[in-house]
Amino acid sequence: MRRFRFRPERRVDPGLSRNRPHGNVAVLRVAVIVLFAALGLRLAQMQLVDGAEYAARSERNRIIVESIAPVRGLIFDRNGETLVENAGAFAAMITPALLPDRAADRYRLYLYLEDLLDVPALEIQDAVAAAEASGGVSLAVARALDRTTALLLEQAAADLPGVSLAVETARSYVAGPEFSHILGYVGAQSPEEWDVLRDEGYAFNESVGKVGVEARYEASLRGTPGRAVVEIDAQGELVATLERREPAPGRGLRLSIDAGLQRYVHQLLADTMGEARTAAAVVMSPQTGEVYALVSVPTYDNNIFSLADPGDAYRRLLDDPRLPLLHRALSPAAPGSTFKLVTAAAALEEGTITPATRRTIDSNVLEFIGEDGQPYYFYDWRAHGELDLTGAIAWSSNIYFYMASCGIPQEGIRGLGDGPEQSAVVLGYYARSFGLGQVTGLDITGTEFPGTVPGPEWKRRSRGGDSFTDEDREWYLADTCFMGIGQGDVTATPLQIAAVTAAIANGGRLPKPRVLREIVDAAGETVEAAEPSWETLPVDPRHLAVIRRGMRQSVVDGAALRAGLRNVAVAGKTGTAEFVDPDDGETKEHAWFTGFAPYANPEVVVTVFYDLGVGGEKAAPVAADIIAYFLERAAP
Amino acid sequence: MTVFRGQPSLRAWARFDALLAFAALALVACGLALIHSGSLRSYDGPLASLANPVARQALFAVVAVGGMIAISRLDYHLFLHYAWWLYGAAIVLLLALIPLGQTEFGSTRWFAFGPVQFQPSEFAKIAVVLAMARYLAGQGGDARSLRALGGTFAIVAPVLLLVFIQPDLGTSVVFASIWLGMVVVAGVRRRHLLVLGTFFLAVLPFVWTFTVADYQIERISVLFNAEEDPLDAGYNPIQSQIAVGSGQLLGKGLTNGEQTQLDFLKVKTRDFIFSVLGEELGFVGAMALFALFILLLMRGIRAAQIAGDVPGQLVAAGVVVTILMQAVINIAVNLSVFPVTGLPLPFVSQGGSSLLTLFLALGIVQSIVMRHRSYRQV
Repeated sequence: MRRFRFRPERRVDPGLSRNRPHGNVAVLRVAVIVLFAALGLRLAQMQLVDGAEYAARSERNRIIVESIAPVRGLIFDRNGETLVENAGAFAAMITPALLPDRAADRYRLYLYLEDLLDVPALEIQDAVAAAEASGGVSLAVARALDRTTALLLEQAAADLPGVSLAVETARSYVAGPEFSHILGYVGAQSPEEWDVLRDEGYAFNESVGKVGVEARYEASLRGTPGRAVVEIDAQGELVATLERREPAPGRGLRLSIDAGLQRYVHQLLADTMGEARTAAAVVMSPQTGEVYALVSVPTYDNNIFSLADPGDAYRRLLDDPRLPLLHRALSPAAPGSTFKLVTAAAALEEGTITPATRRTIDSNVLEFIGEDGQPYYFYDWRAHGELDLTGAIAWSSNIYFYMASCGIPQEGIRGLGDGPEQSAVVLGYYARSFGLGQVTGLDITGTEFPGTVPGPEWKRRSRGGDSFTDEDREWYLADTCFMGIGQGDVTATPLQIAAVTAAIANGGRLPKPRVLREIVDAAGETVEAAEPSWETLPVDPRHLAVIRRGMRQSVVDGAALRAGLRNVAVAGKTGTAEFVDPDDGETKEHAWFTGFAPYANPEVVVTVFYDLGVGGEKAAPVAADIIAYFLERAAP
Repeated sequence: MTVFRGQPSLRAWARFDALLAFAALALVACGLALIHSGSLRSYDGPLASLANPVARQALFAVVAVGGMIAISRLDYHLFLHYAWWLYGAAIVLLLALIPLGQTEFGSTRWFAFGPVQFQPSEFAKIAVVLAMARYLAGQGGDARSLRALGGTFAIVAPVLLLVFIQPDLGTSVVFASIWLGMVVVAGVRRRHLLVLGTFFLAVLPFVWTFTVADYQIERISVLFNAEEDPLDAGYNPIQSQIAVGSGQLLGKGLTNGEQTQLDFLKVKTRDFIFSVLGEELGFVGAMALFALFILLLMRGIRAAQIAGDVPGQLVAAGVVVTILMQAVINIAVNLSVFPVTGLPLPFVSQGGSSLLTLFLALGIVQSIVMRHRSYRQV
């Protein structure tokens, strides 16, 4: 390869490279040393001599970066009624960088605030230390101040370096306590939440959704914070804004809840409590799983979590034996006869009974020979006479369903499987396919319980430890029989029972219940609509049609007679579930009703629950009122 | 067959100044670490992406080092041969900036080709060094005569003027220094320098009044009292002082400086990268950087000393002065002893065209070292 090679004879300038180099490059060395020495001296002066002073200035740089909180998204019911508003609230803020340097001065300031705000000085000290450690610019030591306190603080702040009064937005739950469980509330971040949320750009003292829809849709509701680079003087007063990026407001939520229906159902339950201490109701769409109303009695006022000091009100809630913070529609209880719907589907699908299987129940007592050879007596609520499956559902015969689930070995009637253990496992499989024993995944954070689907394996595991004997851990024939009628160890939430009912009503799709209808932007335009989702039941739709027929018959001429309406065909199932009250050890009854309407073309599923009562008498008529109200006033 | 003295023989490769190259690469490595820290807030994507300023700078460095090796294979007389052409091109580019250049922070210094910026004054530095060396070689190799001194002045003055009106005070000072450094090496008479110096001091008030922009005066006056105007002209000096000073002896640790990470420092991967170093690596880190610069410059001076002929010697000296003055002015700005001027810290600051020019200049110095025996005068 030829490269450019420089030949002397081609050189144009004869002078080039003829002259000898000079000897005086030493001047360059001197220049390098002198200049770098000068810079080195200046550096030493800045970093070593004055370093501590600069370090202190860097700590409390007067130009601070502030996060501007976005406006949180609002929440509406399905018809656009506002359920949550943002309201201005006064807060006492501390900016640690502006506090006095000396610890004693700081503590005097904290003591002053203790007098004014009723927040212990030590608590303020800890909060300030935490904020400083985490790099927080400012923190709220007290929120939701009343007007007088706010005015006093504003006057006092002039003489308290680092203390200021701020107006921040707080949530105001305007729709009433009927919505508290669904909406939840926002609150200060716990240390654990802060560890996670700081990476998502949350400010140290930013409120965050704690439970309910507020927590579940936090990411949509929050919005994007803005940022301001501001210079403040030693009193924390703004001197100049150097840079400002406006926050983007959070998205709004339109729920599937119908506010009018929610209030109506709540009032109806409250008025019909009788001896019951707690009650719950679910109204949902059998087609999409949208929840129209989700009621729990008693409820609480979620506005107390926005109070300066929720202490007293909160303690009263915690001390209330009825546990108002729990959502009863999401808390498990023995489902009683409503569970017979599951047993019927299992028996039909397994082929152990057919729609035509008839049993003659001419006594209200059934004698079983137990594993130990002793006779045991199981009771029905009356002698039904001869029943087929629809009749058994309509009249809610226990004995029919004993026969269908555990069988009667001494009479050669086979249960769901070979022997009580296998029968229980088969029944457990169907119960789980109907969504029992696991949370439904309702989009409300924090309050849903899975309930229990028992079985031989479960019994062995749950009765571990020395307080149980081997006999306690064993699975008996009676366990399977009781499970078959929704007693014993089976528990389910009213929401789960509503979902079971929906799946039967719509012909085999178990919907995932949800309260979100769509996410909307500030202008109310849809950003994202919630998509319904289902699990398909492993049950033949024809079998479900038989069960629907039984439920219809129950309302026309059966145990659920009082759920009947004159102009709508209601179908349903009552439940009266025995349980042992842990408070006094007495055996009591839960009242259940679950049903749907209209029978031919189901539009609504209603499940009603009272902790004390008889299903057919107490829950069925209330469900009828709800269905009537829904079809008249709330149907979409 | 003629002897090709310019051919790089195996012996010549043995003379390649590895220490010089090492010092430059070590400075680039420092720069990568500091760019990483300085860009943490603005860039959080994957490491190996061209959007990552660190990856970009590393890629530029690889290209630049390749350029240095390629140039060092060529005889430096080639560049001297074309010195006038290069000088002419530099003048044309600087003139073209006036209608076509991109204005940023009130100064027109760059051409923008899409995302790529090209700063003609970077290229002009090398062109001026080559042109002066070529000119002085034609004058018998020294600047003893007033005529030769006047000639060098005529070469530098138009470039300096064009840079000064951009306006770019820092680069103007670099050009003045190049001129001074090269004529001193070329043996200028002290008497002439004294006369010129007196003359310069005499015209300074007029220059000050008529040609220095208001903002430049502001930047100079904030050196004496930065607190007077903390948010505007005084902002950067205050913040860089706090950054450097608060670094103290050992620094706050890489990526741990509040001034850097909380965005108090501006242009912290370019003009104020030394403040990042001062804050995060402290006095010790700064001294290590100084040591690398001194090593680099001393190896450059060695090249000037052993150069085979005067043009080689002058070119090496010119490159040394260029790097020295850029580094000193940049650091002086960071230490608030020089007015704020957009000069990058050589080899360390983020910026492709600066890095490329510097390594090409080092390539020429390597060429001078590798051929000093071929051109040794007897």
